[in-house]
Amino acid sequence: MNTHSQYRSRVLPWVFLSPTLFILLVFLYYPAWQSIILSLFRSNLFLGTRQFIGLENFRNLLTGPLAPAYKQVFLQTLVFSVLVIVPGLLISLALASMTNSLGKHGKIYRILLIWPYALSPAVAGTIFSFMFNPDTGAVNTFLKQFGGLQPRWLDNPVLAFVLVVCGCIWKNLGYNIVFYLASLQNIPKANYEAAELDGAGVLRKFFRITLPLVSPVTYFLIFTNLTYTVFEAFALVDLMTMGGPMGPPPLDKAGLTTFLIYKVFQDGFGGSSNMGFAAAQSVILMIMVAAVTFLQFKYGDKKVHYGGE
Amino acid sequence: MKRLVTTLMFCVLTAAAFASGQSEETASADKQMTAENEVKEIQFWFAFGDAKRSGWIKDLAAEWNAANPGYRVVAEAKGSYRETLQAAVLASRQGVAPHLVHVFEVGTQLAADTGIFEPIGNVGKFDTSDYIEPVLNYYTIDGTVNSIPFNSSSPILYTNKDMMKKAGLDPDNPPETFEEILAACEQARAAGIDEAGLGFCLHGWYFEQWMAEQGAPIVNNGNGRDGRATETMLNSDAAMNIYEFIKELNDRGFYKYSGKFEDWDGSDAIFQEGKIMFHITSTADLGNISTAIGGRFEMGTGRLPIPADSRRNGVVIGGASVWLTKGHPMDEMEAARDFILFLTNTENMMDWHKMTGYYPVRKSSVDELEKEGWFADAPERTIAFTQLLETIPNQATAGGVMGTFGDTRTIVEEAIQKILNGGDVQAAADEARKLADLKLAEYNKNF
Repeated sequence: MNTHSQYRSRVLPWVFLSPTLFILLVFLYYPAWQSIILSLFRSNLFLGTRQFIGLENFRNLLTGPLAPAYKQVFLQTLVFSVLVIVPGLLISLALASMTNSLGKHGKIYRILLIWPYALSPAVAGTIFSFMFNPDTGAVNTFLKQFGGLQPRWLDNPVLAFVLVVCGCIWKNLGYNIVFYLASLQNIPKANYEAAELDGAGVLRKFFRITLPLVSPVTYFLIFTNLTYTVFEAFALVDLMTMGGPMGPPPLDKAGLTTFLIYKVFQDGFGGSSNMGFAAAQSVILMIMVAAVTFLQFKYGDKKVHYGGE
Repeated sequence: MKRLVTTLMFCVLTAAAFASGQSEETASADKQMTAENEVKEIQFWFAFGDAKRSGWIKDLAAEWNAANPGYRVVAEAKGSYRETLQAAVLASRQGVAPHLVHVFEVGTQLAADTGIFEPIGNVGKFDTSDYIEPVLNYYTIDGTVNSIPFNSSSPILYTNKDMMKKAGLDPDNPPETFEEILAACEQARAAGIDEAGLGFCLHGWYFEQWMAEQGAPIVNNGNGRDGRATETMLNSDAAMNIYEFIKELNDRGFYKYSGKFEDWDGSDAIFQEGKIMFHITSTADLGNISTAIGGRFEMGTGRLPIPADSRRNGVVIGGASVWLTKGHPMDEMEAARDFILFLTNTENMMDWHKMTGYYPVRKSSVDELEKEGWFADAPERTIAFTQLLETIPNQATAGGVMGTFGDTRTIVEEAIQKILNGGDVQAAADEARKLADLKLAEYNKNF
C-alpha cells in the first residue's frame, strides 16, 4: 500500500506537519538537545559558568559518594510506579464498571469520581499536608475519638511512602475512569446477553468479556500512568513530604519519597543549582522514556486485543 | 494543486495575523518607552507573597513615588527568595535586570558570586552608622557593605504560660539551656501534662543558630569571611552537642514536629493549638502567632536555649537584605539606593516591626519604640532585642557564608531526621560533613 498516493504533491504533507514540527522543535527537541550538551559541562545557574568536563556528571551519578543516593532514588521510583499503576488501574476499572452498570442513574457517581482530577495538585498537596499533621491534622484528631492511635504520617518511612502512593492514585483516578468508562460503553451489549444465556456469572463476565475488551485502553493507560508517576507526581511530593522522610539503613541515602524528577529539581534548582549534574539526570530519564516508548510501539499491536481483524 | 494553494494561503494568513498582533504589541511598548523617558522606572523584586507584607512595601513605594516625581518604583513579588534570586540572575543575563533584589541571608555568597550586583557601599556616600551592628555585619564582606538589611529576625523560645503554671514552673523565667528544657519537660510530665515538650520545625536554620551561640563557625576560613570556604564543620564538637540534644529530646518523647522538612506552618500550628509547651521559631512570627492563638492561652517568650556549658555568643541575623544590580545609569542607581534607605528609615522600620515582629534594623527605631513605651506594652517583644543586642560580634555570630548554603541546610536536615529515626549520631554527622564538603568542592570548581 502506498500511503503517499493520497498527496499529489511532495510538499503538502510537510505543510500539514509544520505546526506540529515547529512546536516539537521549539519545546521538545531543542531543550532536549540543550540538556544533552549541558550534561557534559560543569554549569551553575547562578554563576552562569560552563566548563567542559566530559562524562564526569554521569560518573558522579553512578560511582562515588553521590551514587548511593541516586541508586536509591532510582529504585524508589520503580517501586512507586508499580504501586501507583497496578492498584490505580484496578481500582479505576472496578469503579468504572460499577458506575457503568448503573446506567443513567450512575451519572452523579461518575461526576464525583472524575472530580479529583480537576483539582490542582498544588491545592490537593497543601490540603493533605495539613490533614496529616500528626498533632493538629484532621485525620489524627478524628482517630483520637476512636482509640487514640496517632500515626506519624509524614515521617514514618512506611506511612509517608504509602500516603504519597495513595495520594497519587487518588489524584489520577478520574483520568483513568474517564478512559475506562468510554471503553466500557463501547462494549456491545450482545456479548453480555450471550454470556448470560450461557449462564455466566458477574465475575466470569468481567474476566472473560470486560477485561479483554478494555485491554487496549489498559495498555494505553499503563504508559500514560507511567509518565504521570515519573514526571507529574512532583507537585504532590513537593507539598506533602518535600522528598522526605529519610529511611532506615540501607535506605538512608535519600528521602524515601524523592523520585527521579524531584531529584533533578533538587540538584538543578535547589541548593546551589548544579545544572550540569541535573542535566545528566534528565538525560538518563530521557533515555528511559525513549526505551519505554519504543516498547510501547513494538509490542503494543501484538499483545493487545483491539477487536475486529 | 488547488488544495496546496488554499493551504499555503491559510498559512500566510495565519502568519500575517501573528505578525500584525506582534507589531501592535511593539507599538504599544514603544509608546510606553516614550512615556518612561520622562519618569524613570526602578524595578524592585521582593519575595513576600502574603498580602500584609507585600501591601506594606507597595504602599511605601507609592508614597516614595509621590515625593520623587522623576522616578517610579515598581515593586513586584517574584515568588520565594530562591526564585527571586534565580529570576534576577536570568533577567540580568538578558540585560533586563531589576534595580533592586530582595535576597535571603544564606544567599549572600551566592548573590555576591553571581557578579550581577554592585555593592551598595560603592554607590555614592551614605550613612550606615544607624543600622544595628550585628545586622549590618552579616551583609558586610571585606569591609564593604554589600546590601541594605531589610527584614531581620532570629529564633526565640515561645512558651505556653498556662501550661508552665500548671506544671509548677515559673512562667516568667523560661528555661535558657538545653538541660533546663529537658528538666522542665520532665517536671511538666510528672505533673501530668501530656503536652510537655519542645517543638520546632526541622530546619537547618536552628542548627546554624546553635553553632553561632556556641561561638563555633559552620565553615572554615573564618566562617567563609576571610576567604572562600572549602570545608564545613558539620561534625565538630559544637555540632555534636546539637545533634545529641535533639536525639535526647526525641528519645524522651519531648520533641514534636509535623514530620515534613522545613514545615514552619505545621510546627506553628502544633504550638498555636496548645499541643506543646515550648516552641522555637522566628521573632518574625510573633505577630502572626499571637493573632492565631487569640485568647486561648497566654504566650510567653524567652531566649533561644543553648547548651549549659557554652558561653552565650548570640544569634546570627536571619532574614534578608536588598541588593542593587550593576549596569544602570548612575542616577537610577542612586534613586534605587535612596528608595531602599527610605524603606528602612526610622519610622518605617518601627511600623514594620509592629506589624510583623521583624527587628527594626535601625538603632534610632529601637530608641523611638522605647520612648513610645512599646516594650512595656508588648513585653514579649523585648527578648528579641535583648538577644540581638547581647550578641558578641565575632566571626561565628556574623554568620557563615558559602555558595552551597542551601545544599548544606538540606544535608543537615536529612542528618537530623536520620537521628530522629534512630540512626547513629556520629555516622549521620560524618556522612553529612562528607556530602556537604563534596558539594562545596564541586561549587568551588566553578571558579
